Amino acid sequence: MPLASFRLLMLAAVMLPTAFAHAGDGTVTVFAAISLKEPLDKIGVEYTAKTGTKVVISYGASGALAKQIENGAPADIFASADVKWMDYLAEKKLIDPASRMNLLGNRLVLVSPADAGNGVTLDSGAGLSAALGGGRLAMGNPASVPAGEYAEAALRKLGLWDAVSARLAMTENVRGALAFVARGEAPLGIVYQTDALSEPRVKIVATFPPDSHPPIVYPCALVTGSTDPAAASVLAFLRSPVAASVFQSYGFVRTSN
Amino acid sequence: MPTFSPAEWQAIALSLKVASVATILSLPLGILAAYLLARGRFPGRTLLDGLVHLPLIVPPVVTGYALLILFGRKGLIGAFLESHLGLVFSFRWTGAALAAAVMSFPLLVRPIRLTFEQIDTRLEQAAGTLGAAPWKVFATVTLPLALPGILAGGVLAFAKALGEFGATITFVSNIPGETQTIPSAIYAATETPGGDAQALRLALVSIVLAFAALLASEALARWTRPREDKAP
Repeated sequence: MPLASFRLLMLAAVMLPTAFAHAGDGTVTVFAAISLKEPLDKIGVEYTAKTGTKVVISYGASGALAKQIENGAPADIFASADVKWMDYLAEKKLIDPASRMNLLGNRLVLVSPADAGNGVTLDSGAGLSAALGGGRLAMGNPASVPAGEYAEAALRKLGLWDAVSARLAMTENVRGALAFVARGEAPLGIVYQTDALSEPRVKIVATFPPDSHPPIVYPCALVTGSTDPAAASVLAFLRSPVAASVFQSYGFVRTSN
Repeated sequence: MPTFSPAEWQAIALSLKVASVATILSLPLGILAAYLLARGRFPGRTLLDGLVHLPLIVPPVVTGYALLILFGRKGLIGAFLESHLGLVFSFRWTGAALAAAVMSFPLLVRPIRLTFEQIDTRLEQAAGTLGAAPWKVFATVTLPLALPGILAGGVLAFAKALGEFGATITFVSNIPGETQTIPSAIYAATETPGGDAQALRLALVSIVLAFAALLASEALARWTRPREDKAP
């Protein structure tokens, strides 16, 4: 091949990647608590249908996601399942405080496999322990999963913690606990009401009184260093009536901000 | 010398227990599988070969999920074992040991099989002509000659079992004292604020243990190698 043609070919080759780059990239990345999965997927699709901007959502336990953002993960928006992890990032100046808003509320429930017997109550530690039999209580790890933190707080407040603390199966996120109960691996689990409603293989056997745990609030905010101008628009869309009706259809409660 | 918290010691002790049980209990099956693959000529041999090597290539999460379906409380085999033998794998260290044993099985079998293939069958035939029954030939001639490979395979499997993570966390989750082995403890520490120091300490322990296992494997292989330099 003649030298001039070869050089031209090389030039074209190194410029090829730029053909795939768009101005501002155009994709908004959301890091969201896994309990938001079904409604948020739908809302993402709605937003893309309306505006053409692609929305990519990464789900996980809020604590795990917060640590990823702390380590430089390229998120534009963070939606947490509790105030603690949002505050954690706010303290490190990793979210834009002006954009922060409370999106939703939820309830904490005790679930069992759908075909299990009834009669489990939250009245006594002995009763709950007996209901577990030889099995374990599935819940998120309180160290990084908001559902686990709410669960521990509720169990302590109700005086049930001592009876069950040695019988826990802690999972990486709340959906892991839901899956164990759905599979029948764990006789009982503590998850959000919205999770229980989305899984036909479990049933709610008891609801934790709202005053037994800190109020379940889902704050969301823009991540600092997010360069995409569409991100603010996505955040605003999460508050729109369209989004609200999607959240409501999955059992989420609106919070008064 | 870094100091370890009780939780970290618990993870280290549990890892050693799980890996030891996994390796020792899978040795007989590993030797049998290696022998069949090295010497056997039967239909389905290729299938056995594939099955033995499957955990090495399939994503660990898939292996863990398969274990969950088969050996969980409601699993096909798990339910039977629980009701008849009282053996429970769900959320228990026995489940962690099973996951470690399955994942390290290919690494156990390969060195043993290679050694069996290298043994001079004329030695076995000689023992046979001298009147030894086949099982006696195996026990007194074949097995001692295969010892370097068995030890190498055992130590390699032990090191792999120490580091098993994906299948373990999918099958028996992450329960301190029961199933939180060193890798699971490191993973939990990385998701906890302020846990980076703990993660680093445990990672160093993991590396040291793996190195020690590899050095032991080398030393053992050298010790049991026939002394070729002492020819008469």
